[in-house]
Amino acid sequence: MVWALIFVALAVLFVAFQFDTAFMLQWLPFILAGVPLTILISVLGILLAIPLALLGALGRLSANPVFNGISGFYVSFVRGTPLIVQIFFIYLGLPQLAQYAPGPLQNLFILGTITSGVLALGINYGAYMAEIFRAGIQSVGHGQIEAAQALGMTRAQTMRRIVLPQAIRVIIPPTGNEFIAMIKDSSLVGIVGTQELFFRASKIGRQYFQNLETLVVAAMIYWALTSIFSYFQGRLERRLATGYVRERGGPHGH
Amino acid sequence: MQSIEGIGCPEGIESGEASIKGKNNVHRMQRLASLVAVLAALVVVSACGGGGGSAGGGSAGDGGGGDLLQQVKESGVLRVSTDPAYPPQSFQTETGDFKGFDIDVAEEIAKRMGVEVEWQTPSWDVITAGNWNGRWDLSVGSMTPTPDRRKVLHFSPAYYYVPAAAAVHESNTDITDPATDLDGKTIGVCGACTYEAYLEGALDIPGEYEYVVENPQIRTYDTDSSAIQDLALGDGVRLDAVMSSLYTLEEARKSGTPIKVVGDPLFYEPLAAAIDKEAPADPQPLVEEVSSIINEMHQDGTLTKLSEKWYGIDLTKKQGA
Repeated sequence: MVWALIFVALAVLFVAFQFDTAFMLQWLPFILAGVPLTILISVLGILLAIPLALLGALGRLSANPVFNGISGFYVSFVRGTPLIVQIFFIYLGLPQLAQYAPGPLQNLFILGTITSGVLALGINYGAYMAEIFRAGIQSVGHGQIEAAQALGMTRAQTMRRIVLPQAIRVIIPPTGNEFIAMIKDSSLVGIVGTQELFFRASKIGRQYFQNLETLVVAAMIYWALTSIFSYFQGRLERRLATGYVRERGGPHGH
Repeated sequence: MQSIEGIGCPEGIESGEASIKGKNNVHRMQRLASLVAVLAALVVVSACGGGGGSAGGGSAGDGGGGDLLQQVKESGVLRVSTDPAYPPQSFQTETGDFKGFDIDVAEEIAKRMGVEVEWQTPSWDVITAGNWNGRWDLSVGSMTPTPDRRKVLHFSPAYYYVPAAAAVHESNTDITDPATDLDGKTIGVCGACTYEAYLEGALDIPGEYEYVVENPQIRTYDTDSSAIQDLALGDGVRLDAVMSSLYTLEEARKSGTPIKVVGDPLFYEPLAAAIDKEAPADPQPLVEEVSSIINEMHQDGTLTKLSEKWYGIDLTKKQGA
């Protein structure tokens, strides 16, 4: 209801400010054509972030000082620097090091815009998600671990067979949230010249001096994308919780 | 705990129950396979090349033997960088096609080399900074060969000349002659471009010109159109004036932006194609090839024709400032 009023108010404003809807419609397909790339970058980014987050979390929980130190540094450094700096570091900074690498390896330092973006997003979100994974792993009751050890499992076996399967229930919902956040952050990859959603919107806006229109179009598309994924995220979350809700429909979850 | 299925993680649970070594190994293999799949996907993406508008492999720069020209001819693809926010030089249509004077010139160059163009859209300052690392081969982007750029880029002969002018908000009345009225004013320009260098008194390009603006307050933007947009907010709101190409300013005015060009052009910029000096493969033969094609296009009237098509007049002859 309140939303309906907000929409009406916005619509009135659009008309009052002579919003060029014809222009928006004209360029909508062009801007929409960036959506597959936006989603591709986000999906690959999250696929890269998940193993990094798992390693980061295991490192943070490890008693091994080297493993613990490396993952502590990774989480702290990556979370403490802006994503845009990391993207530029990989896209513009790394190639400067290529000259020191042996011939065939040089191309590993000179990455395309999409690869750079996926790497930066994956590494960045991996660091944030390491904390999520750590919390998930720590949520598994200590009694379970003791029980596993009593059965003669090694630490690795306990982790793989007892802890991670249960931790995943805790980890998946926030990971979905991270994916949704990543869809938005993938717009930063447009700055190095990837023709994704935001790049297309900002180029057209500048070219025709109608930034407001194209930015509104881009914002609506991002909003639609994140709403769609949030819906599935909500369903997934409910499904994962079923085993733990005691009274159906009651407010008391476990 | 009610049911294991409710947890929604059949795979993990299964491996938790399977204590048989063989089964466990199979599971590990699966995990390895999925990791390999992710890496493979990354490799595919990187092979698809960075952000070009058109599809196609970016294989021309991948090490290999031969000079840059040879590599371009072998791959049949000339990778050209362009900043498609500058009509009528370079812009994109609704369907994503690249259009404009620079685009036509680049496609003609490629045609005469017997190859296809693949467009890449890095930002302008990344193009002018050189060290392209073999990500693209050539810039046909109305670039002025300044001394700084000459340190990192090879330039072809100029393919046309564009007048640089100043514009103010249309409600402004006290700035009429840029030679006297711009002193001490806040002027917007694109960062790392010739207009900024001109205002700083540090422009060093072929041709004659005088620095007539004293003590300007320079505001730099990522691109000319952002500066123009800020000027359009009102006289003196964020900017008093903008310096840019006469045609960029005129184009903005034509599309309804409330600005007006004042006075005569301040200088004429020769604009040329550029090639990275530090290209992984020897760039010299490509520089020579592109230069001789541009000279050819001057002589046979192709450039004049293209200039008239996009600008309405012939800008390809050297003009006195």
